Amino acid sequence: MSNKVAIIASNGGLFDAYKVFNIATASAATDAEVGIFFTFEGLNLIQKEASGQLPLPEGKEHFQEGFKAAQVPSIDELLLMAKDLGVKMIACQMTMDVMNVKKEDLISGIDVGGAVTFLDFAKDANVTLTF
Amino acid sequence: MVPIVVQYTILIKKGNENMKATKVLDAKGLACPMPIVKTKKAIEGLQSGDILEIHATDKGAKNDLAAWVKSTGHELLESTEADGLFKFWIRRG
Repeated sequence: MSNKVAIIASNGGLFDAYKVFNIATASAATDAEVGIFFTFEGLNLIQKEASGQLPLPEGKEHFQEGFKAAQVPSIDELLLMAKDLGVKMIACQMTMDVMNVKKEDLISGIDVGGAVTFLDFAKDANVTLTF
Repeated sequence: MVPIVVQYTILIKKGNENMKATKVLDAKGLACPMPIVKTKKAIEGLQSGDILEIHATDKGAKNDLAAWVKSTGHELLESTEADGLFKFWIRRG
């Protein structure tokens, strides 16, 4: 019955954030063990400054109203929910170095690790997703 | 069409009379994945055999909750739909 979901988040737009956190929270609420590896632009999703103001794709800004109309939760809410549900979040050390992101720039409760940290989590996952 | 709808409603109403919910969760207005997340939270506070009644307006909730009980070992006893309001009764496993 046990389910393990491994997700790679490598893009930093609002759409990307919803894809990642909707699947992550839905899986965690369905009793799955969930881990997300944030790498390259995916780091935006867990940065204090950036996570609350992620951009919509160019030319798609009008979807902002659609999000509101559909009463979709904010990314900050989904992040809190993910943490509360025990979703394991790993920030990629190498991309943090490249992009000069410090651990203190990230929201609380994030582990920093390398590719092998994620691979160790993902090796027996039965669902693996990349966004 | 109308008679069928009426009959369906009556049947459901009869069924509900015997279904005493231990707790009612109001998930109206919430979009995916929140109805599922809230359902998980609500059911955690119940005992095995207790019944959770859920009210939702998310059209995806119907299929989602049916799939959710399969993965979590709870039981979807009944669901109704009227005027865009979905109601579900889930027994905690």
